Amino acid sequence: MCGIACYIDKANGNRAAVGSTIFEMLNALAVRGPDSAGVALYGPISDAMLLRVKLGEHADAGNNSAFEKRGIEVADSVSTLAKVRKVSTTGEYLRLELDFDGDPRALEQQIQRVDDQVEVVSMGRSLEIVKQVGSPENLNNTYHLADFVGSHGIGHTRLSTESRIDLSHSQPFWAHGSPDLAIVHNGHITNYLNMRRQYEQKGVRFYTENDSEIIGVYLGQQITNGLSLEEAMRASLNDFDGSFCYLAATPDTVGFAKDRFGLKPLVYVETDAFVAVATEEISIRAAFEGFFEVKEAPVNEVKIWQL
Amino acid sequence: MATIDCAGLSVREINQAIRSAVANSDTEITLVNPGGQHNLSVAILSPVHINIKGSVGYYCGGLIDKATVEIQGSAGWGLAESMLTGKVIVHGSAGNGAAAAIRSGTVVIKGDAAARAGVSMKGGLIIIGGNCGYMSGFMGQKGTLIVCGDAGAAFGDSMYETVCFVGGETSDLGTDTVVETLAEDDLKFLQQALEEHLPDKLNEPGFTVERFKKIVSGRKLWNFDKQDWKTWKDAL
Repeated sequence: MCGIACYIDKANGNRAAVGSTIFEMLNALAVRGPDSAGVALYGPISDAMLLRVKLGEHADAGNNSAFEKRGIEVADSVSTLAKVRKVSTTGEYLRLELDFDGDPRALEQQIQRVDDQVEVVSMGRSLEIVKQVGSPENLNNTYHLADFVGSHGIGHTRLSTESRIDLSHSQPFWAHGSPDLAIVHNGHITNYLNMRRQYEQKGVRFYTENDSEIIGVYLGQQITNGLSLEEAMRASLNDFDGSFCYLAATPDTVGFAKDRFGLKPLVYVETDAFVAVATEEISIRAAFEGFFEVKEAPVNEVKIWQL
Repeated sequence: MATIDCAGLSVREINQAIRSAVANSDTEITLVNPGGQHNLSVAILSPVHINIKGSVGYYCGGLIDKATVEIQGSAGWGLAESMLTGKVIVHGSAGNGAAAAIRSGTVVIKGDAAARAGVSMKGGLIIIGGNCGYMSGFMGQKGTLIVCGDAGAAFGDSMYETVCFVGGETSDLGTDTVVETLAEDDLKFLQQALEEHLPDKLNEPGFTVERFKKIVSGRKLWNFDKQDWKTWKDAL
Protein backbone atom coordinates (compact mmCIF):
# COMPACT_ATOMS: atom_id res chain seq x y z
CA MET A 1 0.00 0.00 0.00
CA CYS A 2 1.53 3.27 -1.14
CA GLY A 3 0.03 6.59 -2.09
CA ILE A 4 0.71 8.36 -5.38
CA ALA A 5 -0.42 11.79 -6.49
CA CYS A 6 -0.14 14.07 -9.48
CA TYR A 7 -1.04 17.69 -10.04
CA ILE A 8 -1.02 19.57 -13.33
CA ASP A 9 -1.75 23.28 -13.23
CA LYS A 10 -3.62 24.60 -16.27
CA ALA A 11 -4.17 28.18 -15.16
CA ASN A 12 -0.85 29.77 -14.20
CA GLY A 13 1.58 28.80 -16.96
CA ASN A 14 4.64 27.41 -15.30
CA ARG A 15 4.40 29.65 -12.23
CA ALA A 16 1.97 27.60 -10.13
CA ALA A 17 2.54 26.62 -6.51
CA VAL A 18 3.11 23.02 -7.51
CA GLY A 19 5.20 22.18 -4.46
CA SER A 20 2.63 23.15 -1.87
CA THR A 21 -0.26 21.51 -3.77
CA ILE A 22 1.56 18.19 -4.14
CA PHE A 23 2.51 18.42 -0.46
CA GLU A 24 -1.14 18.86 0.57
CA MET A 25 -2.14 15.91 -1.60
CA LEU A 26 0.62 13.71 -0.19
CA ASN A 27 -0.06 14.73 3.36
CA ALA A 28 -3.64 13.44 3.04
CA LEU A 29 -2.25 10.13 1.73
CA ALA A 30 0.45 9.83 4.38
CA VAL A 31 -1.47 7.13 6.29
CA ARG A 32 -1.04 4.85 3.27
CA GLY A 33 2.72 4.90 3.59
CA PRO A 34 4.63 6.28 6.56
CA ASP A 35 8.02 4.92 5.48
CA SER A 36 9.16 7.60 3.09
CA ALA A 37 7.91 10.51 1.03
CA GLY A 38 9.09 12.21 -2.13
CA VAL A 39 8.17 14.54 -4.95
CA ALA A 40 9.24 15.08 -8.54
CA LEU A 41 8.51 18.69 -9.47
CA TYR A 42 8.69 20.30 -12.90
CA GLY A 43 9.69 23.96 -13.03
CA PRO A 44 10.18 26.30 -15.97
CA ILE A 45 12.70 24.82 -18.45
CA SER A 46 16.15 26.07 -17.49
CA ASP A 47 19.13 26.55 -19.78
CA ALA A 48 21.16 24.90 -17.02
CA MET A 49 21.16 21.19 -16.25
CA LEU A 50 19.79 20.69 -12.73
CA LEU A 51 21.10 17.81 -10.64
CA ARG A 52 20.09 16.51 -7.25
CA VAL A 53 22.79 14.24 -5.90
CA LYS A 54 22.45 12.08 -2.79
CA LEU A 55 25.62 12.43 -0.72
CA GLY A 56 24.74 9.66 1.71
CA GLU A 57 21.97 8.11 3.77
CA HIS A 58 20.44 9.99 6.64
CA ALA A 59 22.17 7.71 9.13
CA ASP A 60 25.49 9.49 8.57
CA ALA A 61 23.97 12.95 8.18
CA GLY A 62 24.98 13.70 11.77
CA ASN A 63 28.48 13.99 10.47
CA ASN A 64 27.93 17.05 8.31
CA SER A 65 31.58 17.69 7.63
CA ALA A 66 31.80 14.32 5.84
CA PHE A 67 28.79 15.33 3.70
CA GLU A 68 30.27 18.73 2.92
CA LYS A 69 33.61 17.21 1.99
CA ARG A 70 31.86 14.74 -0.30
CA GLY A 71 29.83 17.56 -1.84
CA ILE A 72 33.00 19.45 -2.69
CA GLU A 73 34.50 16.28 -4.17
CA VAL A 74 31.43 15.79 -6.36
CA ALA A 75 31.46 19.41 -7.55
CA ASP A 76 35.19 19.13 -8.33
CA SER A 77 34.65 15.91 -10.19
CA VAL A 78 31.79 17.40 -12.24
CA SER A 79 33.86 20.42 -13.19
CA THR A 80 36.02 18.21 -15.44
CA LEU A 81 32.93 17.65 -17.66
CA ALA A 82 30.79 20.74 -17.16
CA LYS A 83 30.90 24.31 -15.96
CA VAL A 84 29.41 24.45 -12.46
CA ARG A 85 27.13 27.50 -12.16
CA LYS A 86 25.72 26.98 -8.71
CA VAL A 87 26.18 24.56 -5.81
CA SER A 88 24.13 24.20 -2.66
CA THR A 89 23.57 21.53 -0.01
CA THR A 90 20.31 20.75 1.86
CA GLY A 91 19.71 17.62 3.94
CA GLU A 92 21.29 14.68 2.18
CA TYR A 93 21.37 16.44 -1.16
CA LEU A 94 23.84 18.36 -3.22
CA ARG A 95 22.07 20.52 -5.80
CA LEU A 96 24.02 21.49 -8.89
CA GLU A 97 23.30 23.83 -11.79
CA LEU A 98 25.55 23.04 -14.72
CA ASP A 99 26.32 24.16 -18.25
CA PHE A 100 26.17 20.74 -19.79
CA ASP A 101 25.08 19.37 -23.17
CA GLY A 102 26.94 16.07 -23.13
CA ASP A 103 25.98 12.47 -22.43
CA PRO A 104 23.94 12.25 -19.20
CA ARG A 105 25.22 8.74 -18.53
CA ALA A 106 28.84 9.90 -18.68
CA LEU A 107 28.05 12.71 -16.25
CA GLU A 108 26.28 10.32 -13.90
CA GLN A 109 29.17 7.85 -13.98
CA GLN A 110 31.66 10.60 -13.29
CA ILE A 111 29.70 11.70 -10.22
CA GLN A 112 29.22 8.22 -8.85
CA ARG A 113 32.92 7.50 -9.03
CA VAL A 114 33.39 9.81 -6.03
CA ASP A 115 31.87 7.45 -3.48
CA ASP A 116 29.65 4.35 -3.18
CA GLN A 117 27.12 6.41 -1.23
CA VAL A 118 26.74 8.99 -3.97
CA GLU A 119 23.76 8.64 -6.32
CA VAL A 120 22.28 11.02 -8.87
CA VAL A 121 18.64 11.22 -7.72
CA SER A 122 17.48 13.47 -10.54
CA MET A 123 18.82 15.17 -13.64
CA GLY A 124 17.05 17.43 -16.07
CA ARG A 125 16.36 20.99 -17.21
CA SER A 126 12.94 21.08 -15.52
CA LEU A 127 12.77 18.10 -13.15
CA GLU A 128 13.86 18.16 -9.52
CA ILE A 129 13.34 15.24 -7.16
CA VAL A 130 13.57 15.32 -3.40
CA LYS A 131 12.71 12.29 -1.28
CA GLN A 132 13.60 11.03 2.15
CA VAL A 133 12.69 8.55 4.86
CA GLY A 134 9.72 9.72 6.95
CA SER A 135 6.47 11.59 6.45
CA PRO A 136 5.51 14.19 3.82
CA GLU A 137 5.49 16.69 6.67
CA ASN A 138 9.18 16.01 7.40
CA LEU A 139 9.96 16.31 3.71
CA ASN A 140 8.23 19.68 3.59
CA ASN A 141 10.06 20.87 6.70
CA THR A 142 13.42 20.01 5.17
CA TYR A 143 12.88 21.17 1.58
CA HIS A 144 10.18 23.87 1.89
CA LEU A 145 8.12 22.52 -0.99
CA ALA A 146 5.94 25.66 -0.96
CA ASP A 147 8.88 27.61 -2.41
CA PHE A 148 8.78 25.56 -5.59
CA VAL A 149 6.89 26.97 -8.55
CA GLY A 150 6.29 25.14 -11.80
CA SER A 151 3.71 23.52 -14.03
CA HIS A 152 3.24 20.01 -12.62
CA GLY A 153 4.52 17.40 -10.27
CA ILE A 154 4.12 13.85 -8.99
CA GLY A 155 4.54 12.56 -5.46
CA HIS A 156 4.76 9.36 -3.47
CA THR A 157 4.30 8.16 0.06
CA ARG A 158 5.65 4.69 0.69
CA LEU A 159 4.73 1.60 2.64
CA SER A 160 7.66 -0.66 1.97
CA THR A 161 6.72 -4.27 1.25
CA GLU A 162 9.76 -5.89 -0.28
CA SER A 163 12.80 -3.71 -0.24
CA ARG A 164 14.70 -1.69 2.28
CA ILE A 165 13.64 1.66 3.69
CA ASP A 166 16.21 4.31 2.84
CA LEU A 167 16.51 7.35 0.63
CA SER A 168 17.60 5.45 -2.48
CA HIS A 169 14.66 3.02 -2.23
CA SER A 170 12.18 5.88 -1.82
CA GLN A 171 10.17 7.27 -4.71
CA PRO A 172 9.83 9.08 -7.15
CA PHE A 173 12.42 7.35 -9.30
CA TRP A 174 14.27 9.24 -11.95
CA ALA A 175 14.77 7.08 -15.06
CA HIS A 176 18.58 7.01 -14.81
CA GLY A 177 20.07 8.10 -18.10
CA SER A 178 16.90 9.84 -19.39
CA PRO A 179 16.91 13.46 -18.21
CA ASP A 180 13.57 14.83 -16.95
CA LEU A 181 11.71 11.47 -16.89
CA ALA A 182 10.35 10.41 -13.48
CA ILE A 183 7.82 7.89 -12.14
CA VAL A 184 5.91 7.02 -8.99
CA HIS A 185 4.32 3.62 -8.47
CA ASN A 186 1.81 1.89 -6.22
CA GLY A 187 1.81 -1.89 -6.56
CA HIS A 188 4.08 -4.78 -7.42
CA ILE A 189 5.81 -5.58 -10.69
CA THR A 190 6.03 -9.35 -10.25
CA ASN A 191 8.20 -10.04 -13.31
CA TYR A 192 10.68 -7.43 -12.09
CA LEU A 193 13.58 -9.85 -11.55
CA ASN A 194 13.30 -11.35 -15.04
CA MET A 195 13.10 -7.94 -16.68
CA ARG A 196 15.93 -6.60 -14.56
CA ARG A 197 18.16 -9.53 -15.54
CA GLN A 198 17.50 -8.82 -19.22
CA TYR A 199 18.37 -5.15 -18.83
CA GLU A 200 21.48 -5.95 -16.79
CA GLN A 201 22.68 -8.23 -19.57
CA LYS A 202 22.49 -5.16 -21.82
CA GLY A 203 24.64 -3.24 -19.35
CA VAL A 204 21.95 -1.21 -17.58
CA ARG A 205 22.83 -0.44 -13.96
CA PHE A 206 20.22 -0.66 -11.20
CA TYR A 207 20.65 1.36 -8.05
CA THR A 208 18.13 -0.33 -5.73
CA GLU A 209 16.28 -3.59 -5.11
CA ASN A 210 12.95 -1.79 -5.46
CA ASP A 211 10.76 -3.29 -8.21
CA SER A 212 9.44 0.19 -9.04
CA GLU A 213 12.84 1.21 -10.36
CA ILE A 214 12.23 -0.99 -13.42
CA ILE A 215 9.38 1.27 -14.59
CA GLY A 216 11.59 4.29 -15.25
CA VAL A 217 14.27 2.11 -16.81
CA TYR A 218 11.69 0.41 -19.04
CA LEU A 219 10.09 3.67 -20.19
CA GLY A 220 13.49 5.29 -20.78
CA GLN A 221 14.59 2.34 -22.92
CA GLN A 222 11.34 2.29 -24.91
CA ILE A 223 11.61 6.01 -25.58
CA THR A 224 15.24 5.54 -26.69
CA ASN A 225 13.90 2.86 -29.07
CA GLY A 226 11.62 5.46 -30.65
CA LEU A 227 8.32 5.16 -28.81
CA SER A 228 6.49 8.17 -27.34
CA LEU A 229 5.89 8.17 -23.59
CA GLU A 230 2.25 7.25 -24.23
CA GLU A 231 3.20 4.34 -26.53
CA ALA A 232 5.77 3.13 -24.02
CA MET A 233 3.18 3.24 -21.23
CA ARG A 234 0.65 1.35 -23.35
CA ALA A 235 3.27 -1.31 -24.12
CA SER A 236 3.98 -1.60 -20.39
CA LEU A 237 0.43 -2.83 -19.74
CA ASN A 238 1.41 -6.06 -21.49
CA ASP A 239 5.06 -6.19 -20.49
CA PHE A 240 4.58 -5.68 -16.75
CA ASP A 241 3.03 -8.42 -14.67
CA GLY A 242 1.37 -7.79 -11.33
CA SER A 243 -0.88 -5.19 -9.79
CA PHE A 244 0.14 -1.65 -10.46
CA CYS A 245 -0.84 1.95 -10.89
CA TYR A 246 1.95 4.26 -11.87
CA LEU A 247 2.38 7.86 -12.95
CA ALA A 248 5.07 8.98 -15.37
CA ALA A 249 6.07 12.55 -16.15
CA THR A 250 8.29 14.59 -18.45
CA PRO A 251 8.32 18.40 -18.86
CA ASP A 252 5.50 18.26 -21.43
CA THR A 253 3.63 15.00 -20.77
CA VAL A 254 2.09 13.37 -17.71
CA GLY A 255 0.09 10.17 -17.57
CA PHE A 256 -1.06 7.20 -15.57
CA ALA A 257 -1.21 3.48 -16.28
CA LYS A 258 -3.40 0.97 -14.49
CA ASP A 259 -3.06 -2.82 -14.68
CA ARG A 260 -5.53 -5.06 -16.46
CA PHE A 261 -7.21 -6.34 -13.29
CA GLY A 262 -7.60 -2.98 -11.58
CA LEU A 263 -6.14 -4.25 -8.33
CA LYS A 264 -4.81 -0.88 -7.20
CA PRO A 265 -6.96 2.20 -6.68
CA LEU A 266 -6.48 5.39 -8.67
CA VAL A 267 -8.88 8.29 -9.15
CA TYR A 268 -8.59 11.39 -11.28
CA VAL A 269 -10.31 14.65 -12.11
CA GLU A 270 -9.80 17.22 -14.84
CA THR A 271 -11.25 20.74 -14.69
CA ASP A 272 -10.51 23.91 -16.66
CA ALA A 273 -7.97 24.88 -14.00
CA PHE A 274 -6.18 21.66 -13.10
CA VAL A 275 -5.71 17.90 -13.41
CA ALA A 276 -5.34 15.87 -10.24
CA VAL A 277 -4.68 12.14 -9.96
CA ALA A 278 -4.36 10.28 -6.67
CA THR A 279 -4.65 6.91 -5.01
CA GLU A 280 -7.63 8.14 -2.99
CA GLU A 281 -10.12 10.97 -3.43
CA ILE A 282 -9.28 12.12 0.10
CA SER A 283 -6.03 13.46 -1.33
CA ILE A 284 -7.75 15.53 -4.02
CA ARG A 285 -10.39 16.89 -1.64
CA ALA A 286 -7.66 17.94 0.79
CA ALA A 287 -5.94 20.09 -1.84
CA PHE A 288 -8.80 21.46 -3.96
CA GLU A 289 -12.07 23.13 -3.12
CA GLY A 290 -15.19 23.49 -5.20
CA PHE A 291 -17.52 21.26 -7.18
CA PHE A 292 -15.95 18.68 -9.45
CA GLU A 293 -16.45 14.97 -9.96
CA VAL A 294 -13.69 12.49 -9.26
CA LYS A 295 -13.68 9.18 -11.12
CA GLU A 296 -11.96 5.84 -10.71
CA ALA A 297 -9.48 5.15 -13.51
CA PRO A 298 -10.57 2.25 -15.74
CA VAL A 299 -8.59 -1.00 -15.78
CA ASN A 300 -5.95 -1.73 -18.43
CA GLU A 301 -5.84 1.94 -19.27
CA VAL A 302 -3.28 4.63 -20.01
CA LYS A 303 -4.32 8.26 -19.90
CA ILE A 304 -2.04 11.06 -20.98
CA TRP A 305 -2.11 14.82 -20.57
CA GLN A 306 0.01 17.01 -22.84
CA LEU A 307 1.06 20.32 -21.37
CA MET B 1 -32.54 16.58 12.33
CA ALA B 2 -28.82 16.49 13.12
CA THR B 3 -25.96 18.03 11.18
CA ILE B 4 -22.41 16.78 11.60
CA ASP B 5 -19.51 18.84 10.27
CA CYS B 6 -16.82 16.29 9.42
CA ALA B 7 -14.04 18.86 8.92
CA GLY B 8 -11.28 18.18 11.41
CA LEU B 9 -13.00 15.07 12.84
CA SER B 10 -11.54 11.58 12.70
CA VAL B 11 -13.54 8.76 11.09
CA ARG B 12 -14.29 7.35 14.53
CA GLU B 13 -15.56 10.70 15.80
CA ILE B 14 -17.83 11.10 12.76
CA ASN B 15 -19.27 7.61 13.13
CA GLN B 16 -19.78 8.11 16.87
CA ALA B 17 -21.63 11.36 16.12
CA ILE B 18 -23.86 9.48 13.65
CA ARG B 19 -24.53 6.78 16.23
CA SER B 20 -25.43 9.23 18.96
CA ALA B 21 -27.80 11.02 16.55
CA VAL B 22 -29.43 7.66 15.81
CA ALA B 23 -29.65 6.95 19.56
CA ASN B 24 -31.36 10.35 19.96
CA SER B 25 -34.05 9.18 17.51
CA ASP B 26 -32.89 11.61 14.83
CA THR B 27 -34.10 10.19 11.54
CA GLU B 28 -32.62 12.87 9.31
CA ILE B 29 -28.82 13.13 9.66
CA THR B 30 -26.71 15.38 7.45
CA LEU B 31 -22.92 15.15 7.05
CA VAL B 32 -21.09 18.15 5.63
CA ASN B 33 -17.43 18.34 4.55
CA PRO B 34 -16.91 14.56 4.35
CA GLY B 35 -13.71 15.22 2.34
CA GLY B 36 -13.49 11.71 0.88
CA GLN B 37 -13.00 10.03 4.27
CA HIS B 38 -13.28 6.24 4.51
CA ASN B 39 -15.69 3.99 6.43
CA LEU B 40 -18.44 6.56 6.96
CA SER B 41 -21.93 5.37 8.02
CA VAL B 42 -20.91 1.74 8.30
CA ALA B 43 -23.18 -0.75 10.08
CA ILE B 44 -26.06 1.65 10.80
CA LEU B 45 -29.00 -0.59 11.66
CA SER B 46 -31.93 1.84 11.98
CA PRO B 47 -34.35 3.34 9.44
CA VAL B 48 -32.62 6.74 9.29
CA HIS B 49 -31.75 8.92 6.30
CA ILE B 50 -28.09 9.93 6.21
CA ASN B 51 -27.43 12.66 3.69
CA ILE B 52 -23.73 13.14 2.91
CA LYS B 53 -22.99 16.47 1.22
CA GLY B 54 -19.83 15.61 -0.66
CA SER B 55 -17.65 12.70 -1.66
CA VAL B 56 -16.74 9.70 0.47
CA GLY B 57 -13.87 7.20 0.47
CA TYR B 58 -13.96 3.42 0.90
CA TYR B 59 -16.73 1.22 2.32
CA CYS B 60 -19.33 3.94 2.81
CA GLY B 61 -22.70 2.50 3.85
CA GLY B 62 -21.27 -1.00 4.24
CA LEU B 63 -23.10 -3.54 6.42
CA ILE B 64 -26.13 -1.28 6.89
CA ASP B 65 -29.62 -2.56 7.63
CA LYS B 66 -32.80 -0.49 7.03
CA ALA B 67 -30.88 2.80 6.70
CA THR B 68 -30.79 5.07 3.66
CA VAL B 69 -27.43 6.63 2.83
CA GLU B 70 -27.38 9.33 0.17
CA ILE B 71 -24.04 10.60 -1.16
CA GLN B 72 -24.12 13.89 -3.04
CA GLY B 73 -20.65 13.34 -4.55
CA SER B 74 -18.63 10.27 -5.54
CA ALA B 75 -17.83 7.15 -3.56
CA GLY B 76 -14.60 5.13 -3.37
CA TRP B 77 -14.11 1.36 -3.25
CA GLY B 78 -16.56 -1.06 -1.61
CA LEU B 79 -19.65 1.16 -1.51
CA ALA B 80 -22.52 -0.46 0.46
CA GLU B 81 -20.55 -3.67 0.71
CA SER B 82 -22.57 -6.53 2.24
CA MET B 83 -25.56 -4.34 3.12
CA LEU B 84 -28.55 -6.28 4.47
CA THR B 85 -31.48 -4.04 3.55
CA GLY B 86 -31.84 -0.31 3.01
CA LYS B 87 -30.83 2.01 0.25
CA VAL B 88 -27.61 3.68 -0.86
CA ILE B 89 -27.75 6.44 -3.48
CA VAL B 90 -24.66 7.97 -5.10
CA HIS B 91 -25.21 11.09 -7.17
CA GLY B 92 -21.72 10.90 -8.69
CA SER B 93 -19.70 7.83 -9.60
CA ALA B 94 -18.52 4.86 -7.55
CA GLY B 95 -15.14 3.13 -7.33
CA ASN B 96 -14.33 -0.57 -7.58
CA GLY B 97 -16.51 -3.23 -5.97
CA ALA B 98 -19.63 -1.10 -5.54
CA ALA B 99 -22.48 -3.04 -3.89
CA ALA B 100 -20.32 -6.13 -3.60
CA ALA B 101 -22.04 -9.05 -1.88
CA ILE B 102 -25.20 -7.13 -0.95
CA ARG B 103 -27.91 -9.39 0.47
CA SER B 104 -30.90 -7.17 -0.24
CA GLY B 105 -31.86 -3.52 -0.51
CA THR B 106 -31.18 -1.07 -3.32
CA VAL B 107 -28.01 0.66 -4.53
CA VAL B 108 -28.43 3.48 -7.04
CA ILE B 109 -25.32 4.95 -8.72
CA LYS B 110 -26.29 7.85 -10.96
CA GLY B 111 -22.88 8.10 -12.63
CA ASP B 112 -20.50 5.28 -13.57
CA ALA B 113 -19.47 2.32 -11.47
CA ALA B 114 -15.84 1.16 -11.81
CA ALA B 115 -14.61 -2.46 -11.92
CA ARG B 116 -16.38 -5.35 -10.16
CA ALA B 117 -19.69 -3.63 -9.41
CA GLY B 118 -22.14 -6.05 -7.79
CA VAL B 119 -19.69 -8.94 -7.52
CA SER B 120 -21.13 -11.87 -5.65
CA MET B 121 -24.40 -10.04 -4.97
CA LYS B 122 -26.81 -12.27 -3.07
CA GLY B 123 -30.00 -10.31 -3.63
CA GLY B 124 -31.33 -6.80 -3.91
CA LEU B 125 -31.27 -4.32 -6.76
CA ILE B 126 -28.38 -2.34 -8.21
CA ILE B 127 -29.06 0.44 -10.71
CA ILE B 128 -26.18 2.15 -12.47
CA GLY B 129 -27.10 5.24 -14.49
CA GLY B 130 -23.86 5.28 -16.49
CA ASN B 131 -21.40 2.55 -17.46
CA CYS B 132 -19.91 -0.18 -15.34
CA GLY B 133 -16.31 -1.42 -15.32
CA TYR B 134 -14.46 -4.68 -15.78
CA MET B 135 -15.91 -7.93 -14.30
CA SER B 136 -19.11 -6.38 -12.98
CA GLY B 137 -21.71 -8.89 -11.84
CA PHE B 138 -19.04 -11.60 -11.40
CA MET B 139 -20.45 -14.65 -9.55
CA GLY B 140 -23.74 -12.88 -8.84
CA GLN B 141 -25.95 -15.26 -6.88
CA LYS B 142 -29.32 -13.53 -6.82
CA GLY B 143 -30.88 -10.11 -7.26
CA THR B 144 -30.95 -7.73 -10.21
CA LEU B 145 -28.25 -5.58 -11.77
CA ILE B 146 -29.38 -2.79 -14.11
CA VAL B 147 -26.75 -0.92 -16.12
CA CYS B 148 -28.19 1.92 -18.21
CA GLY B 149 -24.92 2.53 -20.09
CA ASP B 150 -22.26 0.16 -21.38
CA ALA B 151 -21.15 -3.04 -19.67
CA GLY B 152 -17.40 -3.34 -19.09
CA ALA B 153 -15.26 -6.30 -20.15
CA ALA B 154 -16.15 -9.80 -18.86
CA PHE B 155 -19.58 -8.64 -17.71
CA GLY B 156 -21.63 -11.17 -15.74
CA ASP B 157 -18.87 -13.79 -15.66
CA SER B 158 -19.67 -17.10 -13.90
CA MET B 159 -23.03 -16.01 -12.49
CA TYR B 160 -25.58 -18.01 -10.57
CA GLU B 161 -29.07 -16.49 -10.54
CA THR B 162 -28.47 -12.75 -10.78
CA VAL B 163 -30.45 -11.18 -13.61
CA CYS B 164 -28.74 -8.34 -15.47
CA PHE B 165 -30.16 -5.70 -17.77
CA VAL B 166 -27.81 -3.57 -19.88
CA GLY B 167 -28.98 -0.54 -21.85
CA GLY B 168 -25.75 0.08 -23.80
CA GLU B 169 -22.91 -1.94 -25.28
CA THR B 170 -22.47 -5.59 -24.31
CA SER B 171 -19.65 -6.49 -26.66
CA ASP B 172 -17.53 -8.33 -24.11
CA LEU B 173 -19.67 -10.61 -21.99
CA GLY B 174 -18.13 -12.96 -19.43
CA THR B 175 -17.99 -16.75 -19.44
CA ASP B 176 -21.29 -18.63 -19.39
CA THR B 177 -23.58 -15.69 -20.06
CA VAL B 178 -26.74 -15.86 -22.16
CA VAL B 179 -28.63 -12.95 -23.71
CA GLU B 180 -32.37 -13.46 -23.38
CA THR B 181 -35.20 -11.64 -25.08
CA LEU B 182 -37.03 -9.17 -22.88
CA ALA B 183 -40.42 -10.45 -21.77
CA GLU B 184 -43.39 -8.17 -21.11
CA ASP B 185 -42.74 -8.57 -17.37
CA ASP B 186 -39.12 -7.49 -17.79
CA LEU B 187 -40.16 -4.28 -19.56
CA LYS B 188 -42.67 -3.55 -16.85
CA PHE B 189 -40.10 -4.23 -14.15
CA LEU B 190 -37.47 -1.98 -15.79
CA GLN B 191 -39.98 0.82 -16.28
CA GLN B 192 -41.06 0.63 -12.64
CA ALA B 193 -37.53 0.35 -11.25
CA LEU B 194 -36.30 3.34 -13.25
CA GLU B 195 -39.40 5.42 -12.48
CA GLU B 196 -38.87 4.77 -8.80
CA HIS B 197 -35.09 5.11 -8.50
CA LEU B 198 -33.74 6.96 -11.54
CA PRO B 199 -36.63 8.88 -13.16
CA ASP B 200 -34.32 11.40 -14.88
CA LYS B 201 -32.94 8.60 -17.02
CA LEU B 202 -36.34 7.97 -18.61
CA ASN B 203 -36.53 11.62 -19.63
CA GLU B 204 -33.29 11.42 -21.61
CA PRO B 205 -33.99 11.72 -25.33
CA GLY B 206 -34.04 8.34 -27.04
CA PHE B 207 -33.87 6.40 -23.78
CA THR B 208 -36.43 3.62 -23.56
CA VAL B 209 -36.60 0.38 -21.63
CA GLU B 210 -36.92 -1.52 -24.93
CA ARG B 211 -33.21 -0.91 -25.61
CA PHE B 212 -32.12 -3.08 -22.68
CA LYS B 213 -30.66 -6.54 -23.09
CA LYS B 214 -31.30 -9.20 -20.48
CA ILE B 215 -28.26 -11.22 -19.49
CA VAL B 216 -28.42 -14.31 -17.32
CA SER B 217 -26.30 -17.33 -16.53
CA GLY B 218 -26.06 -20.09 -19.13
CA ARG B 219 -25.85 -22.52 -16.19
CA LYS B 220 -23.05 -24.48 -17.85
CA LEU B 221 -20.74 -23.95 -14.89
CA TRP B 222 -23.24 -24.84 -12.21
CA ASN B 223 -22.35 -28.52 -12.20
CA PHE B 224 -19.00 -29.99 -13.08
CA ASP B 225 -19.09 -32.24 -16.09
CA LYS B 226 -15.94 -34.03 -17.22
CA GLN B 227 -17.30 -34.22 -20.77
CA ASP B 228 -17.40 -30.47 -20.83
CA TRP B 229 -13.80 -29.95 -19.75
CA LYS B 230 -13.13 -27.24 -22.35
CA THR B 231 -15.80 -24.91 -20.94
CA TRP B 232 -14.23 -25.27 -17.51
CA LYS B 233 -10.73 -24.75 -18.81
CA ASP B 234 -11.82 -21.49 -20.49
CA ALA B 235 -13.71 -20.34 -17.42
CA LEU B 236 -10.77 -20.88 -15.12
